[in-house]
Amino acid sequence: MSQYQKSDVKSTGNHVDLSAIKLADVIDLEFLQSFQDDFAKSVGLASVTVDPDGNPVTKPSSYTRFCDCTHSTESGDNRCAESHRKGGEEASRTGKPVIYECHAGLIDFAAPIMLEGRQIGTILGGQVLTDVPVDAKYRKIAKEIGVDEEVYVDAVQEIRKLSRDSIESAANVLFIVANSMSKTAYQQRKLRTASDTLNDGLNQVSATMEELAASATDISANQARLNAEITNVNTVTGKIDEVMDFIKDIADETRLLGLNAAIEAARAGEAGLGFGVVAQEIRKLSADSKETVGKIRDLTSIIKESVDKTVRMGNETTSTIEQQAAAIEEVTASVQEITSLTAELNDLANSK
Amino acid sequence: MSVQLVVFALGTDEYGIDISTINGILRAKKFKIQSLPDTDKSIEGIINLRGQINYIFNLRTKFNLVKKEFLEESKFIMLNVNGSTTGCIVDEVTDIVKLDDQDIQLAPEFINTCNSSYITGIGKLEDRMIIILDPQKIFAKEINMIE
Repeated sequence: MSQYQKSDVKSTGNHVDLSAIKLADVIDLEFLQSFQDDFAKSVGLASVTVDPDGNPVTKPSSYTRFCDCTHSTESGDNRCAESHRKGGEEASRTGKPVIYECHAGLIDFAAPIMLEGRQIGTILGGQVLTDVPVDAKYRKIAKEIGVDEEVYVDAVQEIRKLSRDSIESAANVLFIVANSMSKTAYQQRKLRTASDTLNDGLNQVSATMEELAASATDISANQARLNAEITNVNTVTGKIDEVMDFIKDIADETRLLGLNAAIEAARAGEAGLGFGVVAQEIRKLSADSKETVGKIRDLTSIIKESVDKTVRMGNETTSTIEQQAAAIEEVTASVQEITSLTAELNDLANSK
Repeated sequence: MSVQLVVFALGTDEYGIDISTINGILRAKKFKIQSLPDTDKSIEGIINLRGQINYIFNLRTKFNLVKKEFLEESKFIMLNVNGSTTGCIVDEVTDIVKLDDQDIQLAPEFINTCNSSYITGIGKLEDRMIIILDPQKIFAKEINMIE
């Protein structure tokens, strides 16, 4: 369980808190009751199941008249409780069924119900004898607890006699069954918690995957718009080039004008000298214009290159996004598979 | 004495013609040249310049240079030859320069014997060499044929 606690704070609420587990959480008490009753009847051993504090969680099965009689006074009841506590304590300490003689001289056993090394309950039972009872002993006890001696001695005669081996075996059967029941139930509970945690985790993964898929679509759309915008820049650049062609044409025309003006000036001789200078200036200006056109052309070609590069990178991005989207789809499919497995696991964990 | 030349280029070579013999410069691409059948190959054809028909000569053909398509910059230099206006196609008009006599080296005799003596001299302008042509003589032969 520790990895769940570490990996996600939210799942701490899901993990099985061992210290809070009660017997009723891991054993179906109704089932335990009928098992205990049937067992008591068939073997002839009385039994009751108590929680770690000694409070009964089942009704007593096949209690003897002798014991009912013992319990009938406050003193007897207290001594019984003390005796049970001691037996339970011993059982808890050893983690195994314990056979002992109770305060009223009967043979009892205490079988602890353990879960992960912790006691969650005890099956107490017995109310039998291994030998023929000696009246004097029971008369003394009757006196001590304040019950009628004759009734008490009479009742003790009804107590069933079993060999110590039989008692031990019976105690063992109860111990094994109760413990394996609680262990199984506990494992199932752990399984349920794990499958719940797994399910929660998968739901989160699913949600995240959906978000990822959505954002991949967004990015893809954005990239497409970006590409369109950038292509638009190229169109505008093309138009600038067209304008530059026009300006260059004007510059060429101006230069020709300058040349022809120089020719006219030369023909005019002395009178054309000043005009010749003007013609020269016009030629210079047209040369400047042409040079400027060249510079602008260089710039627009840089813009074009840059745009082409951007478009190429944009296309790469688009294909990367497509790959990512495909990967997300694959993951989503895997998650769905795992989710259905988890559902099966959950059914298994929740089946009785 | 000095002479003012219109300098033009054919390929990387520069040629010069006395500005006073030039009528004007036109952009070749603005005109349609009508070729004349069965005439000397140096005659590119005729153009209609403001209602006047003018002959256009191809200097590349005349000078036995590599024939080339007209360029964007190709020009017609219109010359006043023998009282009429005749044009020749050049790659580009590059300059108008003024050269003093001492910067002009007269063409040697042997050149003049083999080419109707239309090269009058070589103009030196720093590192540049400008072949100075006599427009009256360049197309004399062809013009005689036409007339």
